[in-house]
Amino acid sequence: MTTAAEVLTEQPAPSTFRALRSVVTSTGEGRVGFTLLVIFTLIALFGHQLAPYSPIAIATGSPNSGPSLEHLLGTDQLGRDVFSRILAGAASVIVIPLIATILTFAIGGSIGIALGFIGGRFDAVGSRVLDLFLALPPLLVVLVVIASLGSSPVVIIVSVTLVYSPRVARVLRGAAQGIATKEYVQAAQSRGEHTYWILMRELVPNMSSTVFVEFAVRLTYAIIFVATLNFLGLGVKPPSPNWGAMLFESRVTIITNPIATIAPTVAIGLLAISIGLLADAASRQFGLDEASEILR
Amino acid sequence: MTTVLSARGLTIGFPAPAGPPNVVLRDLSFDLVPGTLLGLAGESGSGKSTAALTAMGFPIPGSVRLGGSVTFDGIDLLQQPIAALRNIWGSRIAYVAQDASQSLSPLLRVERLLAEPLRLHLGLRGDAARARSLALLASVSIPAPETAMRRFPHQFSGGQQQRIALAIALACEPAVLILDEPTTGLDVTTQFQIVSLIRTLIAETNTAALMISHDLSLLAMLCDELAIIYAGEVVEQASAAEIYARPRHPYSAALIDAVPRVDEPGLVIGIPGLPAARVSESECAFADRCSFVQPKCRAAHPALVTVSERHDARCVMATSLGVIEPQRQPPLDVSVSRSEGSLLEVVDLRCTYRQARGTPAVDGLSLTIHPGETVALVGESGSGKSTALRAIAGLHPLEAGEILFDGKVMPSHASRRARELLRSIQIVFQDPHASLNPRHTVREIIERPLVLFEGSLSRRERRDRVCQLLREVRLEQSLLNRYPHQLSGGQKQRVAIARAFVAEPRLILCDEIVSALDVSVQASILELIAQLTSEHGTAVLFVTHDLAVVRAIASRIYVMRNGCLVEQGHTNDVFTAPREAYTLELLAAVPRPRVENAAWPRRVRISPEDGSAGDESSTVGA
Repeated sequence: MTTAAEVLTEQPAPSTFRALRSVVTSTGEGRVGFTLLVIFTLIALFGHQLAPYSPIAIATGSPNSGPSLEHLLGTDQLGRDVFSRILAGAASVIVIPLIATILTFAIGGSIGIALGFIGGRFDAVGSRVLDLFLALPPLLVVLVVIASLGSSPVVIIVSVTLVYSPRVARVLRGAAQGIATKEYVQAAQSRGEHTYWILMRELVPNMSSTVFVEFAVRLTYAIIFVATLNFLGLGVKPPSPNWGAMLFESRVTIITNPIATIAPTVAIGLLAISIGLLADAASRQFGLDEASEILR
Repeated sequence: MTTVLSARGLTIGFPAPAGPPNVVLRDLSFDLVPGTLLGLAGESGSGKSTAALTAMGFPIPGSVRLGGSVTFDGIDLLQQPIAALRNIWGSRIAYVAQDASQSLSPLLRVERLLAEPLRLHLGLRGDAARARSLALLASVSIPAPETAMRRFPHQFSGGQQQRIALAIALACEPAVLILDEPTTGLDVTTQFQIVSLIRTLIAETNTAALMISHDLSLLAMLCDELAIIYAGEVVEQASAAEIYARPRHPYSAALIDAVPRVDEPGLVIGIPGLPAARVSESECAFADRCSFVQPKCRAAHPALVTVSERHDARCVMATSLGVIEPQRQPPLDVSVSRSEGSLLEVVDLRCTYRQARGTPAVDGLSLTIHPGETVALVGESGSGKSTALRAIAGLHPLEAGEILFDGKVMPSHASRRARELLRSIQIVFQDPHASLNPRHTVREIIERPLVLFEGSLSRRERRDRVCQLLREVRLEQSLLNRYPHQLSGGQKQRVAIARAFVAEPRLILCDEIVSALDVSVQASILELIAQLTSEHGTAVLFVTHDLAVVRAIASRIYVMRNGCLVEQGHTNDVFTAPREAYTLELLAAVPRPRVENAAWPRRVRISPEDGSAGDESSTVGA
C-alpha cells in the first residue's frame, strides 16, 4: 500500500553498481561474505610472497609436527609447512574455478539467452540437447575427458565448462524467456533494432540479478568440484600445493596430525561460504528490488 | 431509512519510519441502507480499497487505525477480535474482490467453493447444501448449474467467474455486500450484465451494498448514493444523479468532464497534475490541480459542508461556486480531405494465434487510414484487434492478406522492413510499466529512435530534440535522467508517447494506451495525443475496447468481433445510427449516468455471454 509519491522520491536508480554496493553493505551476510572474499583474493594474489617457507620445500621442520611458532599450522608428513602451502595453494583453488565459471557463463549463458529469446522450434530442439547433456553425471564426464587428454589446468577448465554450461544455459534460458515477451522488447523489435542490440541492451541488463546470483552459486560449485578433482588426484600435479590435493595427501595422518587435514578443509569451506553468503545477500537485495517494483 | 452498517470518522494510516503515520484515509463516514447501493469513486491511491476493507472490520496488514468506528448489528466491528469477525465475514458481511480469476481457488470445483460458506456458517451439508448451491448458481444466471458444479473456475469465462464469486458471496444471505471493483477488466457488455445482476440481486434480497470503483460513469449509472473520494477523504457526497447533474466540488466536476461520453462528441478535458497521494493537513488536497483555486484554499483544510439537503462537499467555496457547469472541448474536426489517398491499407488480413494454430485471430480484416486521420479499431477481448495492430507493426506473422503503406506492400516482419518504413510507423503499448525498459533512463528511451533513424544528428541536436519532445508531452526536464520506476503511470505513458513521436512518424499505432490509467490522467493523455497528432499531422490507429474514448478522439471507426469486421463508418454516424446489432449492443452496454429519478434501465437485449465472444477467454485460459 505504498503511495505513489513515496515510490517516486525514495528509490535510488537501479544502476547495477549501486545494486551491487547495497548487496555488500546492507546486510550482515553481504558484509561478512565480502570481507572473506577480499581476504581470499589477497591470498590468491600475494600468497606466494607471503608464505614464510617455500611451499614445496620438504623437511622445513620435523614431519607431522603440530602448530608452533615456526609452523603456524604445523607440517605435513614430508615436513612441508602447511601454512605456506595453504597460502600458495589459494591461487589454483580460486583461479581455475573462476576462469571455468566465466567461460561457462560466456558459452552456456549465450546458448541459454539465445534459446530463450528466439524460442519456437530452435528452443524446442536446443532444450532437448541440453537435457541430454544434463543427464550425464558430471564426475564421469570429467573423468573421461581427463583420462583421454591428460590432466592440466586447461583440461580441467574445459571439462568444468563442459559440465556446467548446460546447467547455466537452462537457468538463463528461463530468465531470458520471461523478458523476451516484455513490451519494451517488442517496442525495440518494431523499431527494427538488430537482434544483437536487443540482446545486449534490452535483455541482458534486466537479467543482471539472475546472472549475479547464478554466477555466485555456480562458482561455489566449481570450487568444490575442482577441489574434488584434486582430491582424486586428477588436478594439479604434486608437489604443487593445492587444498584438495593436501586433503588427499594428509588423509593417512588424520588422527595423528589432524591440523594438516583440517586447515585445507576449513579453507575450502570458508571460501565456499563467503561466496554463498554474497549470493544470499544478492538474492535478498534483488528480491527486495523486485518487490518494491511490484509495490508501485 | 434503516441503516444496517454505519461507519463514522474512519481514519487509517501506515506507520512512517519517523514522525506521525501517513494517513491514507481520513474521517470517512457513510451509512449502508438495505436494498440500496452506495458507490465510492476514486482514482488509484485515493484510499478507496482501504475504505472497503475497513468497512468490514478487516485489519489491513501494516496499517494502524487512528480513529473511527464501524457499527454493525449494534457492535463496533473495529473493536472485535478476529475470531468474532470470522463468524460475521462470509455470513453477514460478504466481499467480492476485483479479479475473480484470482479470488477463486483454482484447485477447488465450484461445488466445493459454494459448499464451504454454507457448511461453515449455516451448517448445511449433503443434499441441502447441494440444493442451495444449485439455486444460487441459477440466481446468478450460470447456465446448466448441474454441470457447472463439477467444473473448475478456470473453465469459465471472466464474467462467469465473477458471477460465481457473487453466488459465493450471497450464499449465506448477507446483510451487507462489499464489492471492490467487481467489473474492472471485463468487457463492456459483460460488465453491463454483471452490474445488472448486482442491481437485481440487491433489490431482491434487500442487501445493503457498497461498491468501490474508479469508473465514475459506471457508479453514476448503478448507485443510489455516491461518495467521491480524493486523497483519502470524501470530497463530495450525495445521490448519484445529484452529483452528476449538480456537482459542487471542483474535483467532481473535473472528473465528470474527464470521463469520455458515448452520447456526445467532443474531446475530454484532463485534470492537470497527478492524483495527490496523501492526505493534506493544512490545505485543500486538490488545490494544486483545481482551476478555481484561491489563496484561501491553501490557508486551511476545508471541512465537509452541507450545500443542500443530503448533499455535502468539502470545498471552502462549495456554496459560493454554486453548481459547476460541465465543460467540453469542441468536437475535433473530422472532415479529412480524402484526396491525399491512403496512408495505410490493410487488405483481407488473416492471422492465427501462435499457441493455437488454426484458430483465426484475425479473419479477413480490411481497413484504410488516410494521412493525418485518427481511426479507431474497436472490439471486445478476443476480437483480434490487438493482433491486427501487432501485425501492422510487424510483430505478428500474417497468414494471408497484405498490408500496404504508401501504396507499397510492407514486408510482414519488422526486421525486413526498410529503415524509412520503420521510422514512419511507431507503436505505443497498453501498459507503460512494461513498455519501458527499467534499466534505461528517460533520455536513453526517447533518444533511441533518433540514434536509429537520424544518425546524422549530433549529440547536441539529439539532446535538443529530446528536450523539445519532453516539453511537448509536458514533462519536466528534470526527469531526463530518471528511470521508469521513478515515474508515475501517466508520466511513463507520456515518455512512451514521446518515444513514438520523436522520429516524426506518419502513423502511430496505439494499443489500448489509456486503459491502464486513472480517469483524470487518461483524459490528459487523450488530449495530448489529439494535440500532437494535429500538430505533427500524424495519422493514428487507436485500438481500444472503450467506445466512449473512441467518440472523444476518432474520426472514423471500425468495429471488430471474433476477428471479423462488423461495422465501419464515420464516428458520428456509427454512434448515432449504428447499422449492426452488435454495435448497438456495445453502445447500449457503455455506462452512462442515469437521468434523475429514472428507473434502472430495462435489460437491453444482449446476446448471451456464452456466445463465441464470451467463450474465447475460457478456451484460451484452459
